[in-house]
Amino acid sequence: MTEKTGYTIEVENLTKRYGDLVAVDDISFTVSTGEVFALLGPNGAGKTTTVEIINTIRTPTSGTVTLLGMDVTKKKLDIVRRIGVLPQGFNSFDRITVRETLQYYSRLFSCRNTDIAGLIELVNLEDKANEQYKNLSGGLRQRLGIAIALVNDPEVVFLDEPTTGLDPRARREVWEVLQGLKQKGKTVFLTTHYMEEAELLADTVAIISKGKIIAMDSPAKLIENTTNYLVLTLLSADDNVIEIIRTMGFEPVLDNDKDIKTRVEHIDDVQKILSALKEAGAFYLGLDVRKPNLEEVFLKLTGAAFHNGHVVEREAV
Amino acid sequence: MNPRVVGANLFVKLLGVYREKTTMFFTLAFPIILILVFGTIFMSQDNAGFHLCVQDLDQTKSSIDSVKELEVNGKFKITRVDPAVSAIQYIKVNKVNLVLVIPKGFEKSLLRRKFFSDYKSSVTITYVYDPSSSSVPTKMEILNGVLAGINQEMTSIPPFLKSAATSILTRKYRFIEYFIPGIIAMSVMTLSLFGTVNLNTELRQKGIIRKLCTTPITHTDWILSDILYQSTIAVVSTITMLLVSYAVYDVKLHLDAWLLAFILLEVFAFVGIGMILTRFVKEAQSAAAAANAISFPMMFLSGSFFPIELMPEFLQKFAKTLPLYYVNEGLRAAMIFEDNQAALHDAAIIGVFAAVVFILGVIATRWEEGQ
Ligand SMILES: Nc1ncnc2c1ncn2[C@@H]1O[C@H](COP(=O)(O)OP(=O)(O)OP(=O)(O)O)[C@@H](O)[C@H]1O
Ligand SMILES: [Mg+2]
Repeated sequence: MTEKTGYTIEVENLTKRYGDLVAVDDISFTVSTGEVFALLGPNGAGKTTTVEIINTIRTPTSGTVTLLGMDVTKKKLDIVRRIGVLPQGFNSFDRITVRETLQYYSRLFSCRNTDIAGLIELVNLEDKANEQYKNLSGGLRQRLGIAIALVNDPEVVFLDEPTTGLDPRARREVWEVLQGLKQKGKTVFLTTHYMEEAELLADTVAIISKGKIIAMDSPAKLIENTTNYLVLTLLSADDNVIEIIRTMGFEPVLDNDKDIKTRVEHIDDVQKILSALKEAGAFYLGLDVRKPNLEEVFLKLTGAAFHNGHVVEREAV
Repeated sequence: MNPRVVGANLFVKLLGVYREKTTMFFTLAFPIILILVFGTIFMSQDNAGFHLCVQDLDQTKSSIDSVKELEVNGKFKITRVDPAVSAIQYIKVNKVNLVLVIPKGFEKSLLRRKFFSDYKSSVTITYVYDPSSSSVPTKMEILNGVLAGINQEMTSIPPFLKSAATSILTRKYRFIEYFIPGIIAMSVMTLSLFGTVNLNTELRQKGIIRKLCTTPITHTDWILSDILYQSTIAVVSTITMLLVSYAVYDVKLHLDAWLLAFILLEVFAFVGIGMILTRFVKEAQSAAAAANAISFPMMFLSGSFFPIELMPEFLQKFAKTLPLYYVNEGLRAAMIFEDNQAALHDAAIIGVFAAVVFILGVIATRWEEGQ
């Protein structure tokens, strides 16, 4: 039971094959009660497969998954009553309003005392309560999806890519809702391919790539353990800057077409580079020195390229 | 089974279709359009008398009266041909196929026969006709009958052989009345089959089915709500069809519990087929195509539009293997012939079929992916 082990989810040697394709390759991990757990990985890494096996929609090829102390392949009906799920690419009935949709799902769970108004407030949809689903924007739909996942007051909430396809503002609004869930003490299982999202929300991040979990820890520990360098960013730098830094033995890369990023071992290296640039009279708008973020951790671990804040698996490394 | 869950699903589906005004309109309008189109064709056929050209060479009171008699009692639409023209020429010029010629001296002969009992007195009515026309023999047959009747009357000896036509129907029914039960059966089939296939593939593609997998709803509750939903649509559509055919064509059919029974059994059968299709045909478009492939031949071969007796023997045998045939037969037995025995027989067949297909449909329904 949860109470005995302290784990809400226990995954042991889980494998899922689709024909010849091994989508999930012998993974094991645990999720503690009350934590926000993020499964981070690029498209096709096996996130949805993993999360849907845990919430009983798919069956594993081998391995065991225990959720709330129950085997997911055997206790489906008991489990679904105690979890809430926002599936990837969530959709609802076009012509049904926000309030009616929540009432509908509440009835499916035979909940007689669901606080519909409270849920609408929780996801900030008060203005849209009587709007039909088809008239909601992507961000509002996702927020409705989260509210639906909460109609049965679940102990564990699964959110499969809750912010994919949303603009930065809508994404931020969803994050606020998710932080609210954490405060309510729910165990949250999140999948995402946004580093920023995992870093901001998660207590534990598991990085999944090609069906395997390649690292798992708190965001801070992951960064500390996998990297021992700093990142220097020169904003809107001249074209010749990249050459100058390269001749000093560093490996600068162009980011966003105008910024230059360089890994340095020590803060002294920053000093050296800046003096060299000053000597050459090279121009840059500003600079930034910081510890690496999850993005760089991911790059280091997988050899993947990154692009606008989310990762894409490189063809062949 | 959980009535609250079934009710919630039924409510959401009905509300959805109610708010989707265009879908709702076409759902109800399609069978109505069929009824109006076919009704207009049948009614004009029912009323159409034969067209007949008559050339009266006698131009006496008796001959004119006889022509009127043909018009009124023989139900012919008479065109009077000018006695001055040649009948043969008239046929060629006006492209008509038959002219009946009353000879000169018609009245004289008639009076001699009537008042002087001169049995040798007779007249020869001539049919001038175009033998290449297919409706001429029928016309001549009818005319012969009329003429025989007149001869009979004049001899005033009662005939030895009489014939009496007794229809098996208590009331005279028009073709449109045979047609309506067929249209009802066809519409309920299409609504249930396409309704189930479209709804379920749409919900699957939108991922709603996947979401439902993470709720405690059971297949039984889901399918039951589907049945109730499709039944509601079928009943509403049937009522609309009956009202329209009554309002426009004065169609009065016998309405009793059989009608409801057949509709419900048919809904079960075709929702079942729909569920089997949704299981095995994943793409919405190919599912609709498969539904078409099933319903289209059934529509034409099972006697919805015309009696299967008009089809070749082997097709008639084939028709009797189609579920829709038994719904058509059953509905006609109940609504036209008021034959409970026959209705029961058809209901039993469609009932067994519905049960088998429905159970297969329930078994076939899978929500989980990647089994
Ligand atoms: N039902 C299925 N049948 C066959 N292959 C599948 C199926 N579902 C997923 N796959 C394959 O398994 C691999 C993992 O897919 P999965 O959907 O779990 O990835 P994901 O990490 O969720 O990706 P995304 O970020 O795009 O959602 C992919 O290569 C995918 O093509
Ligand atoms: Mg996914």
